[in-house]
Amino acid sequence: MIGHLIVRNTMQRPVRTAVTVLAVAVEVMLVIIVVGLTSGLMYESAKRTEGVGADIMVQPPSASIFMAFSGAPMPISIGAKLEQLDYVHAVAPVLVQFNSVNGLDIVYGIQPDSFRAVSGGFVVREGTDVLGENDILVDDVYARAKKIKVGQKLHILEHDFHVAGIVEHGKGARLFVLMSTLQEMSGARDKASIFFIKCDRSDHTAAAVDEVHSLLPGYEVRPLKDFLSLMTSSSLPALGAFINVMIAIAVGIGFLVIFLSMYTTIIERTREIGVLKALGASKIYIVEIILSETTLLCLGGVACGIGLSFLVRVICLRVFPSLTILITPKWMLLSTLIAIVGGLLGAAYPAWLASRKDPVEALAYE
Amino acid sequence: MEPILKTENLWKIYRTGKVDVPALRGINVEIFPGEFVSVMGPSGCGKSTFLHVIGGLARATKGQVLLDGNDLTGMSDAARTLLRRHKVGFVFQKFNLLPTLDAYHNIAIAQHIHGNGFDPHRFDAVTKLLGLADRLAHKPSELSGGEQQRVALARAIISEPKIVLADEPTGNLDTRTSDTVLGLLRQLNKDFGQTIVMITHNPEAATYGNRVLHMRDGMVVDGPAVH
Repeated sequence: MIGHLIVRNTMQRPVRTAVTVLAVAVEVMLVIIVVGLTSGLMYESAKRTEGVGADIMVQPPSASIFMAFSGAPMPISIGAKLEQLDYVHAVAPVLVQFNSVNGLDIVYGIQPDSFRAVSGGFVVREGTDVLGENDILVDDVYARAKKIKVGQKLHILEHDFHVAGIVEHGKGARLFVLMSTLQEMSGARDKASIFFIKCDRSDHTAAAVDEVHSLLPGYEVRPLKDFLSLMTSSSLPALGAFINVMIAIAVGIGFLVIFLSMYTTIIERTREIGVLKALGASKIYIVEIILSETTLLCLGGVACGIGLSFLVRVICLRVFPSLTILITPKWMLLSTLIAIVGGLLGAAYPAWLASRKDPVEALAYE
Repeated sequence: MEPILKTENLWKIYRTGKVDVPALRGINVEIFPGEFVSVMGPSGCGKSTFLHVIGGLARATKGQVLLDGNDLTGMSDAARTLLRRHKVGFVFQKFNLLPTLDAYHNIAIAQHIHGNGFDPHRFDAVTKLLGLADRLAHKPSELSGGEQQRVALARAIISEPKIVLADEPTGNLDTRTSDTVLGLLRQLNKDFGQTIVMITHNPEAATYGNRVLHMRDGMVVDGPAVH
């Protein structure tokens, strides 16, 4: 009976219902997309780093796992020492630069031979993977997103590069240039940001990590099989806080809209509340009606919000093909809970107000 | 025979600002099971307040209201709500149907609130008696005034209350429709022994009852005699 009543009530004011549902949908979409975008970027970055094919990654002491935030303070000569270790098969130094022109991208400065030895080499889609002094390789995702063709010029890092080839994505960065060129450009001569290590056998990774620790005490030495699990919001200072702030804003929107919607609803239905009280409806019965209606609106908003999230992802990926937005069941569920809890909190005061209405005054309400 | 409703020195005083305005001034009334009592009086004499207090919608300031042996004056809001649910049926001048529900659900919601579940036999009997069987799928906005009041009447009696309190039930109806509704009230009273207290301005309407109470200035000025 209550179910029938609340469905009918929501249909009584279709515009208000639609606006409320839309607001909750925006709240849900905001949570899903913000979390999906941040975790997607980290996941995609981690997958690409894993895709290099190395077993171990060595960085300077206290370096961030977000490579773009680390400088290039390691002498490249360390590479030769690392190659001497028992379980090390190959070492590839990489200089990392952060490009913010026409998007946010990481550029790898590589030594082609050592990078090939560790990663197994690029899969070339177009052109060549042979790099000259001013050549650049772009991956297929970047090429598609920026509509780049082999042979054209590409202006990044205040430098004009010649696109030598388009390679399959998944080898750490989307852009690759010669390490020597990048060292010259960034004033980091004989420096590297990371050393990727390929072990002689993958089951020797732990032993190789111990060896590197002994050789380079204090350096960050990470097995790459654990890398994906390290790329969480807690690994990047302020990212967790940013996500929490965005969630709080989203919940605030939902809370306020539901509050306003249910407040106007109970004012409008004052006489009906009086009728229900005259019929003997208890305060709990009245509260149940208001909160059930809120839950229904929230569930409608959640359904629309999840749908909207997928739509926004499709649009974003069409406009920015290099983006990754992870929409996970976990965050769909969490955003549902966030929306419902926020909505119920927003409806709590109007529901309480409705339950306390004097029946005689309510019946006289015009 | 014990009265179904008894008031003793019943007072209701409203406070507006710093001024006390007495709406009921020491009313003593006894209404017995099966009675159909009309309450008449000029506007502002306290008729509606009387109905609200004896129906448990408002609390008396002083005195005693005994409804089916339960003293309403000392009751909490929750207890009065429970009493209304099980013992009182209301009919209002403006019908007060829930606009979003059709006639069927407007009647059924009273059974739902009553808590004894939906009784299809009682539902059928009441809707047939009130001539609503073919109007149940319609919303209040699709019903005439007379039909709306019949739905309100059905809602009031569906849970078999001890007493029906009707506040100007024909106040918004034309003469012909008023006669129909009043005839139904009388039929409920005669055929089913339903106790009814009806407030009205209309002397003709008052004659449908078997006793008339006249009120003036918050007091019953005649008709307090025991039936």
